[in-house]
Amino acid sequence: MKVFLAVLFTVLGLSLVLLLNMKLGQAPPLGKFLDPFHGFWANAESASPGDKETGLDVPGLTGKVTVVFDDKMIPHIFAGNDHDVYFAQGYITAKDRLWQMDFQTRFASGRLSEVVGNKAVELDRFQRRMGMTYGAEQMIKEVAKYPRLKAVMEAYRDGINAYIHSLKPGDYPIEFKILDYKPEDWQVLNTGLLLKLMSATLAGGSNEFYMSNILAKFGPDITRDLFPDYPGLEDPIIPKGTPWNFKPVSIPQVPKSYSAIATAGIRTKELEEGIGSNNWAISGKKSASGYPILANDPHLDLTLPAIWYQLQLSAPGLNVYGVSIPGSPCVVIGYNKDVAWGVTNVGSDVLDWYQVNFRDTKKDAYFYDNAWKPTRRRIEHIAIRGGKQLDDTVIYTHQGPVVYLDNQKPAFAKAANIPSGHALRWIAHEPSADIWAFYLLNRAKNYDDYRKAITWFAAPAQNFAFASATNDIAITPNGRFPLKWREQGKFLMDGSKPENDWQGWIPTEQNPTVKNPPRGFISSANQSPADQSYPYYLSWEFHSYDRARRINSRLAVMEHATVDSIRALQNDTYSILAENILPVLLKSLEPGRLSGEAKAAYSIMAGWNKQYDAGEKGASIFELWHNTLARMTWDEFLDAEHPMRFPPRERLVRMLRDEPLSPWFDDKNTPAKETSRKIIRKSFAFTIDSLARKLGPIGDKWEWGRVKGSHVPHLAAIPGFGSATLFAGGGKNIVNALSESNGPSWRMIVALGKPNKGYGVFPGGESGNPGSFYYDNMIETWAGGKLNELLFLQSPTETNKRIIKRILLTNH
Amino acid sequence: MLFILIAVFSLLLQFFLPWWIIAPVSAVLAALVGGTARNAFFSSFMAIFVMWIGVSLSKSIPNQHLLSGKVAVMLGLPQSPSSWIIVLLATGIIGGLTASVSALAGYYWRAALKKK
Repeated sequence: MKVFLAVLFTVLGLSLVLLLNMKLGQAPPLGKFLDPFHGFWANAESASPGDKETGLDVPGLTGKVTVVFDDKMIPHIFAGNDHDVYFAQGYITAKDRLWQMDFQTRFASGRLSEVVGNKAVELDRFQRRMGMTYGAEQMIKEVAKYPRLKAVMEAYRDGINAYIHSLKPGDYPIEFKILDYKPEDWQVLNTGLLLKLMSATLAGGSNEFYMSNILAKFGPDITRDLFPDYPGLEDPIIPKGTPWNFKPVSIPQVPKSYSAIATAGIRTKELEEGIGSNNWAISGKKSASGYPILANDPHLDLTLPAIWYQLQLSAPGLNVYGVSIPGSPCVVIGYNKDVAWGVTNVGSDVLDWYQVNFRDTKKDAYFYDNAWKPTRRRIEHIAIRGGKQLDDTVIYTHQGPVVYLDNQKPAFAKAANIPSGHALRWIAHEPSADIWAFYLLNRAKNYDDYRKAITWFAAPAQNFAFASATNDIAITPNGRFPLKWREQGKFLMDGSKPENDWQGWIPTEQNPTVKNPPRGFISSANQSPADQSYPYYLSWEFHSYDRARRINSRLAVMEHATVDSIRALQNDTYSILAENILPVLLKSLEPGRLSGEAKAAYSIMAGWNKQYDAGEKGASIFELWHNTLARMTWDEFLDAEHPMRFPPRERLVRMLRDEPLSPWFDDKNTPAKETSRKIIRKSFAFTIDSLARKLGPIGDKWEWGRVKGSHVPHLAAIPGFGSATLFAGGGKNIVNALSESNGPSWRMIVALGKPNKGYGVFPGGESGNPGSFYYDNMIETWAGGKLNELLFLQSPTETNKRIIKRILLTNH
Repeated sequence: MLFILIAVFSLLLQFFLPWWIIAPVSAVLAALVGGTARNAFFSSFMAIFVMWIGVSLSKSIPNQHLLSGKVAVMLGLPQSPSSWIIVLLATGIIGGLTASVSALAGYYWRAALKKK
């Protein structure tokens, strides 16, 4: 009996330990996770910042490095040479953001299955078949040609690894404990992958498949009318009339054979609204100080840990402050004592699809230029948690990877968006050494340095705004732009014709640019880079001009501007769309015949100031009203079998204002001919009904801030680790672009002068640890539209009451 | 006696060793000074329950229970100022249970071997 009990409890005890040490489904291994010594409790950071002066032994440094932390726990790194400053940047960034760096790299390279198992296999396949790792490898090969850049990236890598090697399992960031895996050594390739991830986010969308279906259904005339090659309402980045001071290279002609292909059953990821950005700079003539002021707010899908990492980097020849990408050396957006710069996305067409005609089912050759050309194969090895491995073969043509073969498309949301049987030509697969642009910008002293630095930047193309303390302002929509014929890549292309290939590159110095324009300011908000006089074709569509229009009209009248006037513009919530169409919409309603909620809603709309402020009910109604109206007008474009997209917003605006009898307003299901008036009334009634059903009678719940429900989710969507729901204004196509969970990922204003003064904030905090008081401490300031004064130190020993601690890193 | 021994030995060893070291510690100590089965079970349970909760609190109090509150939500508990206490109790119970089952194993092995 005793033996039986002994065996029973031994088995029970062992099973219990094994069970509690093992990840079961979504749940972390409970014993390991709840262990107060090495489990999650160990990640609970004290509210007090700790000792004011400490030392840390860091093997790998060549000299001493001082890291000064300010009251936002932002590091200010002071090193004696380039190696040490980037080594320390890697070390300190990893200390705050290791899990985020690891997870994003895994996401980019298709290695999530190693951590989360089978459920990520299709995602991993997708990322690999898109050629993410292939692209990063191209970058690393290119970087190897530049020893100084290579040294920067290696020092950064070594810094990260020095930190990783100093960790014991109990020190791992909490997400490693939840997902039950270990950090692995950083590679230079990972930095490349993160830049490729930026390209995927900002230059990874395309409309070709939709456009080809539209062309097939409606023909070229309607397609051109509804999807014009240049918007009817525009306010381009480079002001109209700016001369082009260059002799263009020979521009490819539209091939005679040009006819778009229409293939059924495929879909591409649509270019996303809401992922965009604003930047601008005013000249000294417009500011109270007599010096330029520069502003930038890049809009991205917001996440915690914060997308950006703020820091100051100082070494001989370098003293720069700004935000960096966790996982990449240098500062991406920021300022030094001489200059400031900021970026927004260009969104030019740098991703095209080519239909591939294989010789036979073996697919080892494809038809090109009247001959059979051999394909290349790349085998992707996907390791899956639990020990299995999946080998996936990807066929490459000279254009790029055939992302999915016709029979290969899995039932997976992201993959459903890819045209099967097509090769992907994408800028992210080109060799480039983009980081060198930031290395040089971080050290730039003047306009010429800025111009030289940005030529290194390939993708994702950015509008680089610039201002200097010597009173220059400039902006350059910049990146590596393929030389294309007009409309090349607007539709799917035949991959067998050489004339459909990219025809080389627009010479970098001929990218659109303007310096000190007469209007006294430069700006960009993802709209068309230039007017139609620019000789090269960049794309047929950019983001709608709404934000640009508002920014430019405000800047045009601004005088004696201060940081506060610029900050007010960053938080501006005025809707250009409402300005453009609300008068027409209201005129079409008959208030006398409305009753109940609709009547009350009408008077809200009639009195609405067109602001998307948190408390405005008008914004909630207008937003849904416009979307409903667009859906009802463009109902011809809703076709499950042949997926299409709606024409650009500006096209509907022009139709509402100038073409009330347009046949698109006609409801084909009725014999009568409807005009815009009928559809406006119908969409209004639908809007009010649907809001009332969801929110009850008109009241607080109708306020825009509540309807929108802005929040910042956790990167891996772990419940409890995201932000609370915020009551905040702004929206898509509004200067303050905060929608549900994308928007300004960093707001910065730099008042140039002597010295330059910076202000900034992002929705999160410096720490990536949900158990830290510096995880989301800046969200409130950000949501309230306020900025923190940035601390730009001259030396590691400088005294300032905002300094809360110093760490001396030494290599013993 | 068993309570103190398990708590102290586990505390010291856990600084260097994984969480499951509490199992062999409880088994061996219960075998050596177990007394009755009931004592082996309860003393070991309480030893780890109290020790784990104590150590957890030593980390969570300076943290003002910020993280344990978030972990509570992650584990499906409602967002409330006191949810973290449930995580704390769960920690104590899981540690305690592991210790007590192991202690019983140790106790019965000793009893079984003594008989022969």
